Amino acid sequence: MPSTSISVRKKAKALLADHSLGPDQQTRIALFIQGVKGINAAVLAKIEFQPFEWAPYRFLHNQYFKEVELSTLIGRATEWSTNPMVYMEATSLNLALWEKTEAAKYMQAPFQVDALFYEYLALSHAFMADIRFLPLLPAHLPLDTPFLAALAEIEEENGRQIQSQIRLLKDLDIGLSDRDKEQLIDSKWAVVEGLYDRLLSEVTASIEQQIQQDQEAE
Amino acid sequence: MPKFNYKGHDVHYELYGEPGSPVVTLCNGLSMRTSHWAPYFELLPKLGLRVLTYDMIGQGASSKPILGLDFDDHAASLNALHEHLGIERPYVMGISFGGVVVLKYAYTYPDRVGGILPTSTFSEMDEQLRAHAYNLYMGLVRVGFEFYLDLLIPLNFSDKWLRENKELIGIIKRVGMTSFELYGIQNLMESLANFESITGNLDRIQCPALIMNAEYDALTPRHLHDTMRRHIPNSRLMLIPHVCHAFTLEVPELTSRLIADFVRQVEENRWQGDQSVWIANEDPQKEPVAFPCEGDPLRFIPLPAGEPKRPAGRKTTGKTQQTGRKGAAKSGPARSPKTSGHGKPNQPKTRSRS
Repeated sequence: MPSTSISVRKKAKALLADHSLGPDQQTRIALFIQGVKGINAAVLAKIEFQPFEWAPYRFLHNQYFKEVELSTLIGRATEWSTNPMVYMEATSLNLALWEKTEAAKYMQAPFQVDALFYEYLALSHAFMADIRFLPLLPAHLPLDTPFLAALAEIEEENGRQIQSQIRLLKDLDIGLSDRDKEQLIDSKWAVVEGLYDRLLSEVTASIEQQIQQDQEAE
Repeated sequence: MPKFNYKGHDVHYELYGEPGSPVVTLCNGLSMRTSHWAPYFELLPKLGLRVLTYDMIGQGASSKPILGLDFDDHAASLNALHEHLGIERPYVMGISFGGVVVLKYAYTYPDRVGGILPTSTFSEMDEQLRAHAYNLYMGLVRVGFEFYLDLLIPLNFSDKWLRENKELIGIIKRVGMTSFELYGIQNLMESLANFESITGNLDRIQCPALIMNAEYDALTPRHLHDTMRRHIPNSRLMLIPHVCHAFTLEVPELTSRLIADFVRQVEENRWQGDQSVWIANEDPQKEPVAFPCEGDPLRFIPLPAGEPKRPAGRKTTGKTQQTGRKGAAKSGPARSPKTSGHGKPNQPKTRSRS
């Protein structure tokens, strides 16, 4: 992990040790997660055109419906912000999400076992493995608010999906060596890391702004 | 955070204690990381040892290649780490998964090891261990990491510890859930998927070996440790009372004392690798810290070994292999009874104090 990512995450962890996630931060996080789940759902929707016997079908079918379920779950659990600027910035981040992940290119032709499909699996894996909020929260913090409970459920489900995804990433023969596969996976990780860092920077800036406002109000 | 690069992968390590002291390398179990050894960072240096811990590739703060690693790479990367740090003949302890790495390391790099402490581990899988491994794997893959930890916790800790640490358990699980890359654990488990017995290689291990097994280890039970004892010529088996698979977390003072005594015996040429079985005292300050096992070490029901028992006299034991680093010692360790005679191969060798 690049040192910038490490420092962004350390800073977020330090702030979240003492401050809870308010509506502005919840909104940013929820819209980002919905953006990610939206990309996965949009790509995976075409899985229903694949034959039932196609080896990855059962797994991707399961993931498709889980993504929709979890996206709506976080939507229900979020305390939405009333600040329009939050939505503007979140939309800008989501545009970057679609652009930098090149999500549109995975939506076109039907799935087949080729480099493009493998690339998508690598991207989806990076989404699930890298975008984790629980490690940033104090271990003793109860996950008993609707928002935190939903985050926990999403990460638990992501953990399950990752296990099957790893099997596909390991076993799919797309004519690449393991080293080339690792490089491809690393490149997708780097993109997702950058986007997640941006979200965390915006969330921490928003918390700091909140702290400043609270201090001024006192 | 010190890191060493092995074949393009970062290996995170920590080294404590005075340079020049004998080095004990601690190898993690499957879902461990260096911080699990934190008590040893103080305890072992106080006992005159230097302690090296590291996260295997796929664990903790080390690199986690998404596509995983061959199992053999773990012993090779450990050897590379020792070379990198200029450690020539370390004492290498490994628990559970790490214990298998240690066995492999010892027969692959016989010139680069002073002694080994395979702990809560195995050289071959029996059907119970296979079943546990399957449950853990399926729990991880199908239900989730939290359930995997739920399955592990009662195997790892004693009832007493669980009762006394009820509130800690939730935090342990949270830290475990959030500090691991889930695919890293899966990859480590899968690296053992095609594991074949290495028992046939154990006689290649010539260095002193103190095998440690908890009394109530239901995950890697006694007979798996006994197999190692019987096949490693220069070994002893130490039984740790009233604890379970992860006893190194539960009784670090006792474990440190046993490690330090072992290293001291080897360094002072007092080690006797006679394949005998010993029981540790619960009190780590006790002298001696261990006494010979007189019952059948393979039983939970404490029947005496080799029935019918002879009424009196010395009844056993196996060949005594004296092996300190600098040659054979003429007498046993000050706190250990001497051995004599030859027991039957492949049978537990016990000692009588009469």
